[in-house]
Amino acid sequence: MLQTNSLLPQMNKPKTILIGGKAGEGVKKAAQVIAALLCQNGYHVFQQDDYQSLIKGGHNFSGVSFAEEPVHTGYQKADLIVSLDKRSLQTHINDCNSGAIHCFNSDDCLQTMDQDSSVTLLGYPLNAMMKEVYSKPSNVSMAALAICFAWLGYSEELLCDTIAKEFKRDVEDNIRYAKEVFKLCHPDFLSTNLSIPQNSIPLLPGARLLSGNQAIAQGAWLAGLDFYYAYPMTPASSILHYLALKQQTYKTFAIHAESELAAANMAIGSVFAGARTAIGSSGGGFALMQEAFSLAGMAEAPLLCIVSSRPGPATGVSTYTAQEDLMFALYQGHGEFGRIVASPDSAARALTLTAELLSLAWEFQSPVILLTDKHLSESSADVAVSQVVESCSLPDEPNLTESTDTYNRYEFTDNGVSPLRFPGSDFGDDSLMIKWNSHEHHPSGLRTDSSESIKAMKDKRNLKSRGLQEATKNYQRIAVYGDSGPVVYAYGSTVLELREAAKHCSYKFRIVALIYLLPLAIDDLQDYIRDEAIVVEHSSTGTLATYLQQNLTLKIKKSILHYDGRPFDPIELALLIEEAIDA
Amino acid sequence: MRELGTNKENTWCTGCGNFGILNAVKKAINSLVAEGVPLADIVMTSGIGCHGKIFDYLALSGIYGLHGRAIATAEGIKLANPKLTVISFGGDGDSLGEGLEHTLFAAKRNIDLTLILHNNGNYGLTTGQFSPLSTLGYKGLSTPFGSIENPFRPIPLLIEAGATFAARGFSAKPDHLASLIHQAALHKGFSFIEVMQPCVSYNNNYTELNNTVKMLDIVPANLNQAIDLAGDSDNVYLGVFVRKQLPVYNESLLGSFIPVKERFTLAQRRKMLGS
Repeated sequence: MLQTNSLLPQMNKPKTILIGGKAGEGVKKAAQVIAALLCQNGYHVFQQDDYQSLIKGGHNFSGVSFAEEPVHTGYQKADLIVSLDKRSLQTHINDCNSGAIHCFNSDDCLQTMDQDSSVTLLGYPLNAMMKEVYSKPSNVSMAALAICFAWLGYSEELLCDTIAKEFKRDVEDNIRYAKEVFKLCHPDFLSTNLSIPQNSIPLLPGARLLSGNQAIAQGAWLAGLDFYYAYPMTPASSILHYLALKQQTYKTFAIHAESELAAANMAIGSVFAGARTAIGSSGGGFALMQEAFSLAGMAEAPLLCIVSSRPGPATGVSTYTAQEDLMFALYQGHGEFGRIVASPDSAARALTLTAELLSLAWEFQSPVILLTDKHLSESSADVAVSQVVESCSLPDEPNLTESTDTYNRYEFTDNGVSPLRFPGSDFGDDSLMIKWNSHEHHPSGLRTDSSESIKAMKDKRNLKSRGLQEATKNYQRIAVYGDSGPVVYAYGSTVLELREAAKHCSYKFRIVALIYLLPLAIDDLQDYIRDEAIVVEHSSTGTLATYLQQNLTLKIKKSILHYDGRPFDPIELALLIEEAIDA
Repeated sequence: MRELGTNKENTWCTGCGNFGILNAVKKAINSLVAEGVPLADIVMTSGIGCHGKIFDYLALSGIYGLHGRAIATAEGIKLANPKLTVISFGGDGDSLGEGLEHTLFAAKRNIDLTLILHNNGNYGLTTGQFSPLSTLGYKGLSTPFGSIENPFRPIPLLIEAGATFAARGFSAKPDHLASLIHQAALHKGFSFIEVMQPCVSYNNNYTELNNTVKMLDIVPANLNQAIDLAGDSDNVYLGVFVRKQLPVYNESLLGSFIPVKERFTLAQRRKMLGS
């Protein structure tokens, strides 16, 4: 029986700020500064960016949604919009909630346009004011900050302190400009500002604003990451950037190689020498890493591979989101060998799951794949990092012991996992010969074509892979959100969208989030396959639905597909879920 | 003198130039060990092709990698443990075909390792197709009417890319080659050795090579002279063309830090992330 969502009337919809402007105007940075401040003030925050693959011009916009309850994804409609140029005003004229304020740059748009009468339009001469203040290149995003601060009820003093802390260049001019704009708009918000308490005790101890990619990088580092090799490709690039920045403190080395092929093969060299190593890219770049992925399978190299999807095929849509690479990840590489594939359903999970995967890779000397997408990779949310780090249970790194007998890299063992030793006089004497091989090989690592050896080695690797897949049972393989109602299957950032949509849906439903995709947690899923299911994914062909039906006796009532590169708006998604349930 | 061999049956053709290279490598490693380099600190990578079989015949730790990628793999080893002496072996196709980008970038970085290019002027193990080093007009299965491409000039190419040690040896002069390998392994920075090697089955240029090789008496005084001598089409000069000291990639990146030795514990990492 369907249950209506009794929480619905009590739920406060999160407030949303939207800042729009040209690329290069600092829209994203302004949104991040505001999000981080709200996070420090104890709010739950979700910050997401919509940007194009260009450096200057075009139209970018960034959203910050915040509430006292967790906010899982951003909203399309805003309560405050700051349009720094005409195109932003035109694009977002209808993206207003009832009672919203839309501030625009009156120097760039002379006439007001048709609009909802419940929306207040406020024009400010942002260019003229900018010209008065700046002698050098100007920064219009300061105006956005000033307007947002005035609306939030933050003080002019906090605005100045924040700019001084967050912006290293042209601090004096930036502060002067922000102050001017603040003084101009502050009176307009006297009756409407949110009066966000500035010195409240944080509701979330240790909460920090973290992007999915930052969480992935931190999780990998927690599990011992020494090297990260990559070639830049959106939306995976910020893992490379973040780790490169952390080189001194983390003593981890992020190497921008000449190509993805180089990155993946360098990574296997570092693993051989004893370093915990990861590689990362989006679909196109990971396609170039496939041969080395198979080398990791053959050589039994523990290697963490991070794939952050964008719409494909080929170059596709560089800066938008998709989940088209499920089958690509599951079937990565040529030849037969085991692997696991898992996908985080939040930034917090991205941290713990990445750590788990790197540990599993080393325990079973196998390649593993973390599959994510642009929306999770590049959006930021509050994460209670210390708590999340504490909650992450990881095995101790194994101690390498001296063996007295002759060492065989690919020794047959009861579980197929051969002893791992590292080269160099620090790890063994001259008699230790460690041979890793891309050819089929004897236990010694020397090449072979013999029929017995081929079969025995394949059996050994398959035995090991079964152990790897079995070991995923030690970790959380699915997450279920909601206690009653129809079952909705999803993975990755779609889970975030569904969790937010659940706040607005007139029916209760249960989200079954697939964290481990390979192996699928068939036994854990038995409780959820009796009823007709809904599957939601960012794909045009429904690959998740297909995959579930291949592996579970599952009747799918409705497959909700979204493939325009944009994340779901939670309110729109709630309507689609209602339709699916009613159907 | 250590034997440094394995129990693997050797499957190179009788008279293959690779035998001379194998002997030279063994001799060079023995001299390194005699000078105090622990054998355990010498590792190798190789690509795929006739040259790659050297992996099976040498009692050294290492990775028998992918075609073209062995030099990238070698770089990853060196970065993780810069105490290791890393020697990478490549064929024409490995080093200058499939893996050209990695070869050039390793030289550009001046990363401290040695690349030994087995130049036999063709793709031996895949039945003699033309290679990036085959001469104009070379006839193979994929170029039955003769190659219409000019070959690369490996040493000028690598010098331009940034190799700080560049030399040429000849598989029929293993003692000289051993000395080059020994010098290359001790050189701090990227070392490149082109080894001229007849392929007895598909490109037997032994007599021609034997008639045209000339020993370089001294390291050329400047880069232009080195490039001219290395690219000379009438004489195949053997010896060291370039030897210079420039900043080394692994040192610029790591300083004296050894990633695989100086690692934070899990407890330390937890504490640092949480705070």
